Amino acid sequence: MFSSQVFESALSITMFVLRILVPLLSTIVLVRCFVSLKRGRRKEEPVVLLEDLASGLSIPVLYWENSIGRSKSCDIVLPDSTCSRDHAVLYRRASGWIITDTNSKAGTYVNDKKIKEATQIIPGDVITMGTSRFALRRVSEGTVIQQKKKIKQPKISNKKAPSPAGLLGLTNVIHLLLTIQCCFAGGQFNALPFIPFALLLAMSWGLYLISRKLLGRVSFEIETFGFLLSGVGIMLLCAEDFSLIYVQMGSMLLGLCLFGFLIWFMGDLKRVMKARLWIAIAAIVLFAVNLVIGTETNGSKNWINLGFISIQPSEFIKIAFIFVGASTLDKLQTAKNLWGFLGFTAVCLGALMLMKDFGTACIFFITFIIIAFMRSGSIRTILLVLSGSALGVFLILRFKPYIAERFKAWRHVWEYADTTGYQQTKVLMYAASGGLFGVGLGNGYLKDIFAGDSDLVFGMLCEEMGLVMGVVVVVAIAMLILFARNDATRSRSTFYSISACAAAGLLLFQTCLNVFGATDVLPLTGVTLPFISLGGSSMMAVWGLLAFIKASDERTYAVRRKSK
Amino acid sequence: MKTTGWRSLILYIIGAGFLAGIIFFICSYFIQGGSWAIRPSNAHITNNGQLTYSGEITDRDNNLLSYSEDGVQQYNDNALIRRATLHVVGDPNGYISTGAQYAFRTQLSGFNPITGVVSPLGNSITGSNIQLTISSDVSAAALQALNGKKGAVAVYNYKTGEVLCMVSSPTFDPLNIPSDIETNSAYEGVYLNNALSSTYTPGSIFKVITAAAAIETIPDLDSRTFYCSGSTIINGETITCDGVHGNVNFQNGLAQSCNIVFAELAVELGKDTMTKYAEQLGCNTNFYLDGNPNKMSSYNVEEADENSLAWSAIGQYTDTVNPYHMMILMGAIANGGTPVNPYIIQSVTNSIGLQTKTGKTTYGDNMLQQSTAEELQQLMRYTVSNYYGDSMFPGLQVAAKTGTAEIGENKIPTGWIVGYSEREDLPLAFAVVVEEGNYGRNSAGVVANAVLQKAAALYT
Ligand SMILES: [Zn+2]
Repeated sequence: MFSSQVFESALSITMFVLRILVPLLSTIVLVRCFVSLKRGRRKEEPVVLLEDLASGLSIPVLYWENSIGRSKSCDIVLPDSTCSRDHAVLYRRASGWIITDTNSKAGTYVNDKKIKEATQIIPGDVITMGTSRFALRRVSEGTVIQQKKKIKQPKISNKKAPSPAGLLGLTNVIHLLLTIQCCFAGGQFNALPFIPFALLLAMSWGLYLISRKLLGRVSFEIETFGFLLSGVGIMLLCAEDFSLIYVQMGSMLLGLCLFGFLIWFMGDLKRVMKARLWIAIAAIVLFAVNLVIGTETNGSKNWINLGFISIQPSEFIKIAFIFVGASTLDKLQTAKNLWGFLGFTAVCLGALMLMKDFGTACIFFITFIIIAFMRSGSIRTILLVLSGSALGVFLILRFKPYIAERFKAWRHVWEYADTTGYQQTKVLMYAASGGLFGVGLGNGYLKDIFAGDSDLVFGMLCEEMGLVMGVVVVVAIAMLILFARNDATRSRSTFYSISACAAAGLLLFQTCLNVFGATDVLPLTGVTLPFISLGGSSMMAVWGLLAFIKASDERTYAVRRKSK
Repeated sequence: MKTTGWRSLILYIIGAGFLAGIIFFICSYFIQGGSWAIRPSNAHITNNGQLTYSGEITDRDNNLLSYSEDGVQQYNDNALIRRATLHVVGDPNGYISTGAQYAFRTQLSGFNPITGVVSPLGNSITGSNIQLTISSDVSAAALQALNGKKGAVAVYNYKTGEVLCMVSSPTFDPLNIPSDIETNSAYEGVYLNNALSSTYTPGSIFKVITAAAAIETIPDLDSRTFYCSGSTIINGETITCDGVHGNVNFQNGLAQSCNIVFAELAVELGKDTMTKYAEQLGCNTNFYLDGNPNKMSSYNVEEADENSLAWSAIGQYTDTVNPYHMMILMGAIANGGTPVNPYIIQSVTNSIGLQTKTGKTTYGDNMLQQSTAEELQQLMRYTVSNYYGDSMFPGLQVAAKTGTAEIGENKIPTGWIVGYSEREDLPLAFAVVVEEGNYGRNSAGVVANAVLQKAAALYT
């Protein structure tokens, strides 16, 4: 009797220590991932030069895509009144350097021939824009060697660069600590949680070997990040009910495939730009199908039941939405208006409104704002769209007051604890019960509340793993905007920059809606928490969105080129 | 691409929103986490709505009033004390929301923001102990003096703020809950702490408020003479007095509780001045006892004609007052115009013996000019010494005003007394209300004396 008490106390203390270690180690992994990404970034050095044939001065070409023109916002500014504000775009693709005229008045000439479409140029070629004449020059012996040096350089200069394998290993350790907690959930030892652990281990090292050895990619930060968070979510679900992890882990595997496919797909920007129209059409068709044969769950008609499995089309349309919105610089400079994308957005938002999925509609709207701003840079347009939509919301609330009724418990949840504030009060109650380090995996009660492991999962995370871990997880997702911004000017195209920023912003905004909705900081809208919530479609889509951020890292495609 | 770089800063707007939200949530957690977690429906800590384990509640003399073990609420051994302190301590079902068990459950449950409601050691958590300022003996004396009548007794130290006694009747024994509690009319309102959460028609005790308004507004008040013939006509309707007082000055008007004097003063003062002073003296305002709000006293003459205004000034019309508020008003008068805020938690001691909270003396908003307070002190003391007689409160130097509130045809009036003791060593202000008590002097007055005598015997 006495010894069993001592054993129970020792076990309890061990579990408590593990619960303190997990957020600590997670923070280390996240910070190291970010440091590694930051250090892997190319320095702002010119790849090629444009030599002004009149003055003999050289203008460095700093980016993968460069706008040229009279406007101050151009990457290469031509102080030449005969040039257009946005005259041409000089960009680099796998085949080499390409110049395209962006509807300039005076036209662009290569070796004194007026160009009509995108034209490949090689060092030594002479470009004429207005009265300015430039020759393309290499910086030194060869760009390929130059670049290889640049990637290696910071690694040598930094004492301790985080090793990708080390970080992934540490992530596995975190998962192991969670697995051990999971094994003791409910007081009885149970070895089953080692199955998802083994699967996570296999998936992570499988992807690692494919990515590093087979494809020769240098970086692995984004993947490590994704594995860390997905593993936390899977262990949380495993402690709730072992049977939940089949779908979750299956979806994660499919998500990894989607991740790989999208990175391959985005490798050829020409292909992407051609496919955009079809992607848009497919997205609209999918919405239409959803509206016709969709099933209604919890007030929102956003599911398609395929018999053996239910999918949530709007999750995948998020990916399509970013594809349709993002664009390469040459296309941005020629087609400046947003009408096409605006129309597509309107169709998406309309469909989501019809499904009564207001949370997802908000997510699409914010993603639209990010993309629209990154494309146009026009604060006026954004303000116009914002005030227009504010009017729209006002009209909707005016004529359909029952929608406002859904949100009346907001900031008064305790007064509506038996009705519309029920879920939020449970989240607050059980999240607070966990304190900073949680009551332990599987020991919570929020999982018994409806949507506890999806819309309210932040509460469950806080209850079982503690507020510290909950905050670490959501701050990690917030860090994606740093990841995306890190590569905003270094990526191989504005397409990657815009899509990465859109994906990061989308994930962060969705996180805000989920976390703040559940905790009554914002009205509850019922969206999932990326990586953590139960839901196959959500899990797959999140990995698909990560592909955008991965693709914006120029190293993703760098070494593959070399090995060709 | 340069522009893409700076345009990507838009992400920081969402990032800033996220940071603001998460910081707001974390701050809310540290401020309100306890009240979020400690709910009757929280399966971690409760069993059928009661805390599975909770700290002890003791009175000022360390008499154990209640604790909880394995989800069962335990109480003091003495049935009279259990009944007298029921509304302060709380009932086993948590129906009395102002009871300490319910109102202070965060402290009792041992919630702390670091480990939440669980202990890293794995054993059940033990909550903090709460020592209350009340005296269970004085409370028992008060309940006995109420003698089965419905009503309330509230007594506090107007210098320190400690609530010495807060008793509400009807009451019941939490260890032997009567089976007919839901059906028997004798138990109607049993889950309300009448001292804190009920209001009554005040009757003549309201004349103290009217007197304060008159003192501050009418300069030649003391030199005036009023004439009482037993009744008067105001706005075509009669105002009656309990006696025929003939020529009477202001001082004797209050002492003899002449309705005619105060009816005429009210008409002279007018609605606005009456409302201003009623509100300044705490009507239409909430008072709090360690976070628990009282039920507001109400004074509203917006739609009153002159006759009704006159009735409102003598505590009839639609006037209702709360005993806890009246006790604080008496404290304000005794203190020279500014009340000390009452408190009922003497100390909170956590499971490792550290005091995490102690009751402190704080001051409320000023209610009266010092000179007005002093004149009221003298008037109320005169009322007892020259009219009721000090034999009513032997040796206690009480200043007070009684009330007999009419509550309708064929109903026995409500008896009231409000006041305080002038003794330096017994600085207690009190409000006593007895339903169906009839004359305040004979009902509430007797209870007040019994309570004060017990307090004087035990604590001086
Ligand atoms: Zn009279």
